[in-house]
Amino acid sequence: MRRIAALLLALAACGGDGEQPDVARQAAAASSERPLWFVDIAAEAGLSEPTWCGRPEKPHLLESNGTGLALRDLTGDGVLDLYLVNGWRLEGSTVVERGRNRLYRGRGDGSFEDVSAGSGADDDGWGCGVEAGDVDGDGDEDLFVTNFGPDLLLLNRGDGTFERAPQSPGIDGWSAGSVLFDADGDRDLDLFVSGYIDCTLDEVLNAKPELVWRDMQVMLGPFGLDGLANRYFENEGGGRFREATDEAGLTDVGLFFSFNAIALDLDDDLDIDLYVANDSNPNYLYRNDGRGHFEEVGLWSGAALDQGGQAQAGMGLASGDVDRDGRPDLLVTNFANDSATLYINRGELSFVDSTRRWGLKEPTFLPLKWGTTLSDFDLDGWLDIYIANGHIYPQADQVEGSGGFRQKNLLLRGQEGRFVDVSAQAGPGLAVLGVSHALGVGDIDSDGDLDLAVSNIDQPPTLLRNDSPRRGAWLLVDAPTALRAEVRAGGQRWVEHAYAGGGFQSASDPRLHFGLGPVSKVDELVVVWPDGERTVLTDVAVDRVVPVRR
Amino acid sequence: MKLQLLAAAALVAGLGLVPAALPPQTTPPTMAATYSALADTILALKKTEANFVRSVVAGHFHGAQSYVKAGDGAKAAAEMALFANEGDNAMAGVRKRLLEGGHHHHHADDTAQGEYDAGFVIVTRKAKEAAMAASAAMRDAKDDAARQAAWKQFSAVAEPLLAAK
Repeated sequence: MRRIAALLLALAACGGDGEQPDVARQAAAASSERPLWFVDIAAEAGLSEPTWCGRPEKPHLLESNGTGLALRDLTGDGVLDLYLVNGWRLEGSTVVERGRNRLYRGRGDGSFEDVSAGSGADDDGWGCGVEAGDVDGDGDEDLFVTNFGPDLLLLNRGDGTFERAPQSPGIDGWSAGSVLFDADGDRDLDLFVSGYIDCTLDEVLNAKPELVWRDMQVMLGPFGLDGLANRYFENEGGGRFREATDEAGLTDVGLFFSFNAIALDLDDDLDIDLYVANDSNPNYLYRNDGRGHFEEVGLWSGAALDQGGQAQAGMGLASGDVDRDGRPDLLVTNFANDSATLYINRGELSFVDSTRRWGLKEPTFLPLKWGTTLSDFDLDGWLDIYIANGHIYPQADQVEGSGGFRQKNLLLRGQEGRFVDVSAQAGPGLAVLGVSHALGVGDIDSDGDLDLAVSNIDQPPTLLRNDSPRRGAWLLVDAPTALRAEVRAGGQRWVEHAYAGGGFQSASDPRLHFGLGPVSKVDELVVVWPDGERTVLTDVAVDRVVPVRR
Repeated sequence: MKLQLLAAAALVAGLGLVPAALPPQTTPPTMAATYSALADTILALKKTEANFVRSVVAGHFHGAQSYVKAGDGAKAAAEMALFANEGDNAMAGVRKRLLEGGHHHHHADDTAQGEYDAGFVIVTRKAKEAAMAASAAMRDAKDDAARQAAWKQFSAVAEPLLAAK
């Protein structure tokens, strides 16, 4: 069917609209049968350099961590750029290449130019993740890079080149995800850093597979290794940070294996809460009291464990209003042979594991899952799910039924009340095999739909251009510092909550994207600010970026 | 064959390799007594751990009871969830540390059989699921009758655990 559709499309393209009207119509019909459609354009877009993560044999857990990316406007030209974090390449116990992070300037047509050299952003530490935000209040996007080693704050000079902050906050060790968000309501960005494992470079270089898995020796961890404490840094203004972990109530009481965090107003009380995905331990949910002090309420909120009361191996995070009740729900990806978990938000920080009810149990069970997003790729008004997959053990290739080391990623189309796995029908972009981890979401080719950048271990990234059938109109609300935006159109309502972090060690376009289904205009757009003030716009035209400022 | 063995034994004895009269080979009684005292301490610690965790969950039980009486279903539900999980994530962190140090309150077989989650002391897996369901019912309760029904469901699970010694 796909071949026929492709042939029809080719014929339509050759013949032109006027010459082959029937063919064009048939092609359009065939195209509309595609649930979603993605094409990997990384090579033609100029992204051909691999990102490294240790040795091919992966004897240490660090080598399965992968590296993050940011899909953000770092050069201030209104176009999304791509920042790719890089790790080190090892052979035996020798470092043979310290991979440099790369900065690619987006051209707005889906292609990128490598501007790493001279950018000041091409650090060669063993990179893990990256977060972006304006930490010094000068109107441009700065970068915070988590490393295995000292973390790195890169201040944007305003022209897309960067300089190291004199004193970088962070962790000197294995930090994974990080989040920049205004925790204390003072209008600057504070920093939370997830600490994962306490280990040294010597231990990594000299690691031997110690754990028995399916009768094979594989890397040890995370159990058997020591957790590393999360840390929080308050921005004292101008991008100067001081540690305030305990003071803020963010003490890592369990020294859990924290991978990733997401920050957003989960209970609509006008402050930003924090959710932390922990590997093999209960997840944390920190409620903000509005003054930058947090209370850990994970277990009673229902969002720390799965429906059976079990801690899972939390990896990636996404947020979005899946059931369109106006509240942000949470999606957490987990290890292989365990489903991703969808926590539906019932208000007042009460969550219910609704994985099975929404059809996610079976399709997400087998793969080992990392970065994820809840995004409306076909603009039909319902959020879809993309999940990056890949095993941590290369030995998985020898185990039938494990899904292998390199795995295909997952795409699930959202409908009212359920998700449907459409990965096998979603184009060549979903046929790519890799050990995928981080992902960034944003419109790289300025056509209004959301594309994806995905990092792969020891391979070049995947750049997935969204060629899905358009099932509706779109709106992109550019409202920095807003907590959420609400859209009313065609008798329906959508709410998008602004979030920081999420994905997996990655940063996506922070603007609020709405797929609206077949509507011709937006009746009302409401933007809610942290002080409770609202900006209301009426009769807004669709299919455009709407800048809203306080 | 028997004759050969006997001959070999006689030869060994004749060569003086085995003393004619063996002294009694025992662990010094003082060492056994010390170990016995240590065992008392170990066993007492295990009992102390159970009593301590029981008092933690009892605190959450009574907290939930108070909130139910005050008509605050959300807070009651939260206390019930903390009962089900034997405390909050700080308690879970202690459990993690104990497990990593090789300490299982219940024998590993019990955990493997699914009676208790790893590291749990008082609340069985079955009771945990039931208490979490009651907590969810309490959170959803729209009126006092519904709250009372959820409380009844919860206390039926919780009270036997608190009473058990």
